[in-house]
Amino acid sequence: MIKKIIIVLILLTCTLFSADATVEIVKKMDKLPKIALQDASDVTINLAFRKRFFKILIGDLKVSSHFDVVDEYLASTFEGTVEENFLSSLHPDLILRYKISIDADGEVIAQLKLINAKSGQIDNEKIYKISQQTRYPFLAHKIAVELNNYIGAPSIKWMEQFVIFSKYTGTKESEIVISDYTLSFQKIVVKGGLNIFPKWANKSQDAFYYSSYNALKPTLYKVDVTTGKRTKIISSEGMLVCSDVSSDGKTLVLTMAPHDQADIYTYNVETKNLENITSYGGIDVNGNFIDNDKRIVFVSDRLGYPNIFAQAIGSNSVEQMVYHGKNNNSASALNNYIVYSSREKESEFGSRTFNLYLISTKTDYIRQLTATGRNLYPRFADDGETVLFIKYYENQSALGVIRLNANKSYHFPLKVGKIQSIDW
Amino acid sequence: MKRLLLLGLTVAALVFSGCSQKNPEVDMTKKDYTDVSTADKKASDISGMDKNNMDSDAMQKQTPDTASVIAMIEGKVTKIYFDFDKYNIREDMKANIEMNAEILNAEEAKSFSLKVEGNADEWGTDEYNYALGLKRAKSVKDSLGAQGISTDRIMLVSYGESNPACKESNKACWGQNRRVEFKILP
Repeated sequence: MIKKIIIVLILLTCTLFSADATVEIVKKMDKLPKIALQDASDVTINLAFRKRFFKILIGDLKVSSHFDVVDEYLASTFEGTVEENFLSSLHPDLILRYKISIDADGEVIAQLKLINAKSGQIDNEKIYKISQQTRYPFLAHKIAVELNNYIGAPSIKWMEQFVIFSKYTGTKESEIVISDYTLSFQKIVVKGGLNIFPKWANKSQDAFYYSSYNALKPTLYKVDVTTGKRTKIISSEGMLVCSDVSSDGKTLVLTMAPHDQADIYTYNVETKNLENITSYGGIDVNGNFIDNDKRIVFVSDRLGYPNIFAQAIGSNSVEQMVYHGKNNNSASALNNYIVYSSREKESEFGSRTFNLYLISTKTDYIRQLTATGRNLYPRFADDGETVLFIKYYENQSALGVIRLNANKSYHFPLKVGKIQSIDW
Repeated sequence: MKRLLLLGLTVAALVFSGCSQKNPEVDMTKKDYTDVSTADKKASDISGMDKNNMDSDAMQKQTPDTASVIAMIEGKVTKIYFDFDKYNIREDMKANIEMNAEILNAEEAKSFSLKVEGNADEWGTDEYNYALGLKRAKSVKDSLGAQGISTDRIMLVSYGESNPACKESNKACWGQNRRVEFKILP
């Protein structure tokens, strides 16, 4: 009898040892993993560069809203002492330790260790590189994107995308710039005269369209990013803007005015077929494809004030999309959602405020996304959770990023010039 | 005695198995150092504009005589101003339209074409403002047409917010920027 009891007890206790051996932290997204960053780079690497890299990487983790970030610059050895592998005074769950080096070809290499700060053990190791030092922000963004994937959080791949924007540098003078979303990397790709409304030609971001106002008629050009080669697409009197491109890259949505009248057109870059979509006698602008490129959402003043409408291609029937606000002058659409910029009444939000609002095209859902300043030109990211926009405040312009699920907004000021339009 | 031993063993077994591991086991994936992830994108070389492939955007050159006549005419015509978010011709601007029509139909001016340039203040998104500027230019073109100026002579362009006459942040300055201007074409 006693022997039987012992056997049963032994069997029972054995099963209790079969605990789940995977890292606990990965599974708990209701509690954000607390992460600390350590710079283990050699002292021969310029300290200012190392700190700039640190700032971008820590910024990425904060903006992702998937980490509880220890906002402190920490240095360490690469192998890590006991204290460095636990950081017991800070109580992180994870430690991301990186070592930057620059090889003879100028490539920047980042060796990474991800440490479980509860056990002091290395959880993962990786090496990243980028070919040009000026592009180091993209190195940081890639590390953040992959770390975010590793912990099983929703993708933040948009952080690796190029942003293209134009900025006014003087009267009838503007430049077109390719940058990262924090404006830490910037490269001017078009300058000289008035060059505006840049628009990516495809998802791989290897070409873009823009409008040049330097000749007698506004002209739309396409530029190859790698070679800089420019090709004329179409021109129009009055005004000309490419406001969207179909997902296959073949059809452009244009605002043009061949008869002194700003209307929405579609233009097939292969067949060169130009189709007039709207013909209202007032203002129709800012067309964007929705519903698998079969409908266009756009801004029109056909009710006496700027508002958001939609029209199916091939149909004359126009549907009003927004029933709130008296001046809704810019919109972006993705799946069943539209984000638009609306001018507030002067008494409510201070003087001449423009706020962003998010609505569903299928329900009565409406959500205010910003509260102060002038928030304009919203652009959805492909993930549907992130909105890029232009923010003007205190005589300065900035690139704004809203993370919808986390209900957080960030902005990155432009030091010189005024942002005119953006795309990503 | 045996029962005591059994009880002790039971308690010990339960205690040790009940205390589950506080430090979860870690997946010790050690990566091969030859496996390097590149952060370069496909378009790894962003080029600046290739000036050799640009179309010539040069405007037609003027003779000195033509240039001085153009400057004289442009000095005489007056700007037309608009209310916020509006493109209709205001009552107080109608006299300016009539005066401009007389100047543009005068002997020294009537052989020239003209560019009517619409502008907007800084409020609102720029694409809408380019369209608003164009509507203002169109209103002026139509009004000049009603005053006997041949509309074949007139081409329109809008500069949206890009061409402010002043840059202060006050109502007076914004009012100065909501305007149509005239350029005489050689």
